[in-house]
Amino acid sequence: MLFSYLLPYFAFTSDSNFRPRGLDKVLLVELLPQNFVNNILASFPFFGGTIALIIGVLFLGSEYSWGTLTYAFTQRASRLKVFGGKMAALGVVLVPFVALVFLFAFFASLFIAVREGQAVELPPLWQVVRALGACWLIMAAWSSVGVMIAVLSRGTALAIGLGIIYALVIENVITVFGKQIELLSSLSKFLVRTSGYSLIYSLGATVQSEAGPGSFFGDYLSVARSCAMLGGFVVLALVISAAVIRWRDVVGNT
Amino acid sequence: MNFEYTSIARKQHAISFVIETNGLTKRYRPDVVAVNGLDIRVKRGEVYGFVGPNGAGKTTTLRILVGLVRPTSGSCEILGGKPGSPDTLSRVGALIETPAFYPYLSGRDNLRVLSRLAGIDFSRIEPVLEEVELAGRADDRFKTYSLGMKQRLGIAAAMLKDPELLILDEPTNGLDPAGMVEMRQLIRQLGHGDRTVLISSHLMGELEQICDRIGIVKDGRLIKEGTLEELRHGARLRIKASPVDRARDLIGALEGVGEVQTVEGDVLLVEVGLSRSAEINRLLVDDGIEVSELCAAQDSLESAFLSLTEEAGFGK
Repeated sequence: MLFSYLLPYFAFTSDSNFRPRGLDKVLLVELLPQNFVNNILASFPFFGGTIALIIGVLFLGSEYSWGTLTYAFTQRASRLKVFGGKMAALGVVLVPFVALVFLFAFFASLFIAVREGQAVELPPLWQVVRALGACWLIMAAWSSVGVMIAVLSRGTALAIGLGIIYALVIENVITVFGKQIELLSSLSKFLVRTSGYSLIYSLGATVQSEAGPGSFFGDYLSVARSCAMLGGFVVLALVISAAVIRWRDVVGNT
Repeated sequence: MNFEYTSIARKQHAISFVIETNGLTKRYRPDVVAVNGLDIRVKRGEVYGFVGPNGAGKTTTLRILVGLVRPTSGSCEILGGKPGSPDTLSRVGALIETPAFYPYLSGRDNLRVLSRLAGIDFSRIEPVLEEVELAGRADDRFKTYSLGMKQRLGIAAAMLKDPELLILDEPTNGLDPAGMVEMRQLIRQLGHGDRTVLISSHLMGELEQICDRIGIVKDGRLIKEGTLEELRHGARLRIKASPVDRARDLIGALEGVGEVQTVEGDVLLVEVGLSRSAEINRLLVDDGIEVSELCAAQDSLESAFLSLTEEAGFGK
C-alpha cells in the first residue's frame, strides 16, 4: 500500500516541476480504480513476497523459538499431521491477507479518484479474482520458502535474516548479472522472483524496469511456466520441510 | 542405524511393564554418547524415579520414550507399543524439561490447543486445572505466569489425556520449598491406581520421598535399579570410638559382622544387625576404647548414589 498508493500519490501531489512533463497524468491514471488491480499486482512479487516469507518463518519458526513443538509432537497426531495442519492453516491465512490488501488498494484508488474528480470505473470481476489467485500463489511460494528456512535453521531470527538476504540480495544479484552471464541467465529462470514477476506481467501489471525496489528486468516466463514454477516451489519447500521435521530429533527448548 | 522396535502387545492383556528398554543407546557423535546401553523396567502402577546428575542422559532418555528423539540402537517399548506412535502417545502424558506454551494465549487456551491436537474433548480442561490449582489464573496469558505456575500448567497438560503413563522431567525445577512440597504431594496423588509415573530428577532426596523404585543413571548408563531399601545399605551401626583403628580391628574380628568402614576420621560404619549393639559396646569398653556415639545409621539415597558411582568407577 505504501509503495503502490501512498508514495505515488504523494509524488503526484508534490511539486510538478520536479518531474518530466506528462508524468502527472500517467501517475494519476495508474492510481485510479480501473487500474487498481494492475497497480497492486505489481507490488506483490517484491513487497508481498518479502512479507510472505516472514509470515512463513514466523508460522513455524516461532514453534522452535517457544519450544512448543515438544508438546505439539507428543499429544497424539503424528509429526506430519501437525505439520500438514499448520501448512493448511497458513494457506488459509494468506487468503484474507491478499483479499484485505486488494480491498485497501481499491478504497485507496476510490479515494484518489473522488479527490481528483476523476470518473470511477471498476475493473471486471474476473480480472480481480484472477489477480487474487495469482497473488495468493506468489505469497504461498514465498511463505513456503520461509517455512523451509525456519525448519532448517530451527528458529526465527536467523531464518528471517537468511530469507531476506536470499530474497532481496541473492535473487536480485542473479537477475541483474543474468543480463551479462549466460549461466546466471539460465539460473534466473528458476527463481521465485522471476516466476512471480512473469505471472503478474502476463496479467497486465506494469513492472518497473529501472533499478530500485520492486523492479525487474529479467526475461519473462510464460503464464503456464510461471504458475508451474511457483507451485513447484511450494511443493519442494514443503516436502523438504516435512522430511526434516519427520526425521530430525526434537531436542531442547530453544 | 540398527534400532528395532518390539512388536505391539495386545491391549486386552495387562502389561506388567509399561516401559521396557533394552540396550537403548543414543550417540550424537563418536565421542558424545548421551544414553549408553540403558536397560530399565518400569512396572505398571508404580512411581519410578529416574535419578542422576546433570548430563547423565535422563532427559534424552525421556525424549526417546515419547518419540522426540530417535535412538541410535537398542529397543524400547512403551505400553506395549512403539514410542511416538499415535496409539502410544494417546495414553502417555509428558512434561519434558521447561514447560513451553504459546506466550500470547491464556493457560486455558493453551490447553484447548493441546486438546485439539490430542483429539480429546475440552471437558478435561477444567478438572486438570482444578487438580493443579490453576483454575483462578487460567484466563491469564502464559507469559504472565510465574515459574511455579508454568510447571503446574505443564503438569495439567500432561494430565489432559488422563494418561496411563505420566512422564515428568524435573517437575520441581525452579520451585520454592513450599512449591516443591505441593508438587511432591500432587505427584503422589497422580500415582494412584493403575497410573504409572516416571519422574526424573537430579535431586535424590526429593525422589526418596515419593518413589517406589529408582533407577540411578550416570554417563548414560544405568548403575542400579531397585527399591529404596535395595539401593540403600541394610542396617548399619554408626560408632564413634577412639582409638578407631583398634575398634575396627576388634569389631572386624567378630563373627557375623560384614563390612567395617571408617568415615569422618573416627567413625565406623558396621554392617551388622542392630540387636548386637550392646555386645559391640561392651567389647569396645572392656578393651579400654572410648565409645562416644553408637546408633543405627540409615543411609540416604544420596549417599547410596555416591557409593554406587564410586564402585562403578565414575567420577574418577
